[in-house]
Amino acid sequence: MNSDDTHTSRQLTEHFFRNEYGKIVSVITRYIGTNNVETAEDIVQETLLKAVDHWQQHGIPENPQAWLYTTAKNRTLNILKRKKYQTQYESQYKQKNTHAELEDLQISEELISDEQLKMMFVCCYPSISENSQIALMLKILCGFSIAEIASAFFTSTETINKRLVRGRKQLREANISFETSATAIDNLGIVLKTIYLLFNEGYSPSQQNKVIRYDLCLEAIRLAEILANNKTVKEKTEVYALLALMYLNAARFEARVEDGTLVEMHQQNRQKWNASLINTGIHYLNQTTKSDVVSIYQILATISGHHCIATSFEATNWAEILSLYDSLLVLQDTPLVRLNRSIPLAKVKGNQASIQELKVLENASDIGNHYLFHATLAEFYIQEKQSELARRHLQEGISLSINKRDVELLEKKLKKLVPIQ
Amino acid sequence: MKEFMLFIKSEESPKADLSPEQLQQHIEKVGSYIKGLMEEGRMKSAQPLEMEGRILSYKDGKIIDGPYNETKEIISGYYHLLAKDLDEAIEITKQDPRFEEGIWRIEVRPIKKVEGIN
Repeated sequence: MNSDDTHTSRQLTEHFFRNEYGKIVSVITRYIGTNNVETAEDIVQETLLKAVDHWQQHGIPENPQAWLYTTAKNRTLNILKRKKYQTQYESQYKQKNTHAELEDLQISEELISDEQLKMMFVCCYPSISENSQIALMLKILCGFSIAEIASAFFTSTETINKRLVRGRKQLREANISFETSATAIDNLGIVLKTIYLLFNEGYSPSQQNKVIRYDLCLEAIRLAEILANNKTVKEKTEVYALLALMYLNAARFEARVEDGTLVEMHQQNRQKWNASLINTGIHYLNQTTKSDVVSIYQILATISGHHCIATSFEATNWAEILSLYDSLLVLQDTPLVRLNRSIPLAKVKGNQASIQELKVLENASDIGNHYLFHATLAEFYIQEKQSELARRHLQEGISLSINKRDVELLEKKLKKLVPIQ
Repeated sequence: MKEFMLFIKSEESPKADLSPEQLQQHIEKVGSYIKGLMEEGRMKSAQPLEMEGRILSYKDGKIIDGPYNETKEIISGYYHLLAKDLDEAIEITKQDPRFEEGIWRIEVRPIKKVEGIN
């Protein structure tokens, strides 16, 4: 504190603490076992608190990452010395030289990436419920606090806490080894699905908690990038496809909401679409064409890509999008996919063709219980100037909406239908 | 310029409730506040204190442990700074960004000047 050069103007990169949190927890868990992941989290929280005390007064050290790892490592060594963890640890791994191993620990980007990868597979262990998987990923790997997760999911901290407690319990019961991640690569599909769910949580348009929700999207992308850059994952086509899809969708994030209300794609200001995210998405999409594997993510990404490169809604290549939906139906024939397909179908074959399709779909499935079905059908009737039918489906849609935001959008359309007297 | 001691008090550590993201913001805000004061030459010293420690008393001719504080409040750090007068020291204290989050109390005390000692 005596000389000014202890106080250089070094700054931390954006989300440094949040990102490092997940990295260090992953590295430490390797030494204390997945049973004790909560202890690992406590160690890192204490380390960050220590950093706050030191750094706010003495300035940020030259290598903040190394500072954090050294502090966390020493704290872990102290805890390992305590017998209770020692026994738990040894019974789990039957190794005696952990101590020496940890003391010699050299931090490298590769090691961090490997440990984060393993942690991802641990969090997505098949016996853990989907809700808990996402909560664990956000808490452990992304360094979100319980309050932040709750705010992103529009739910209470108690709910998130319950999901975490349940997830950790399932983790303990499964007694997952942190060593055998190579075999766990079989679960790549589940990890990708969880990452995609995480992305969609953030992507659902809303004015509320916008910043934190966009961060969810970025975190999902960050996790997928770890998979893409890691050597252990050999078959990367699906990872690239998911990355392409997320980048291309994230590019349109800003344009979807204006003054608190939802903006449908045909009314979005395309100037607001993020060109650099679109380029990265296209780059990943090109990577996927190098292999013969066709995946759902790849088709969805290509559809998203067609939207991104169209200069206007009218200029969109609807015929190509329709044929992509036909391919998607081969892999995933669900009512929701058929519902989404009705939009390019209308552009190519006319609204009446889509209306007929949707009527068939309604009889063949329970899609009629979904507000989106009625909202879509209503839009076709509006364009066909069949106001009475449009009104009926808008009202049906409103009564089935759970989300206030969707109700607002449908009510706005309904108001426009009422003839001016 | 007069010298002041600022005792930063808190009940346990209010920082413990912050998320990693908020902790980082805390470092950046408080850090640049302290840095600013140093550059102005007002800050002579600032240190955080560990949460542990002992209280010693002299009683009946011997030194004993305790008595311990009845409240949970402890001094978690201090600033030693220069200001024109108490009012200015208080103004500087009020700008401490740590007040924005968590329950902190800062006691501002002028250091007594004794001829020939200071």
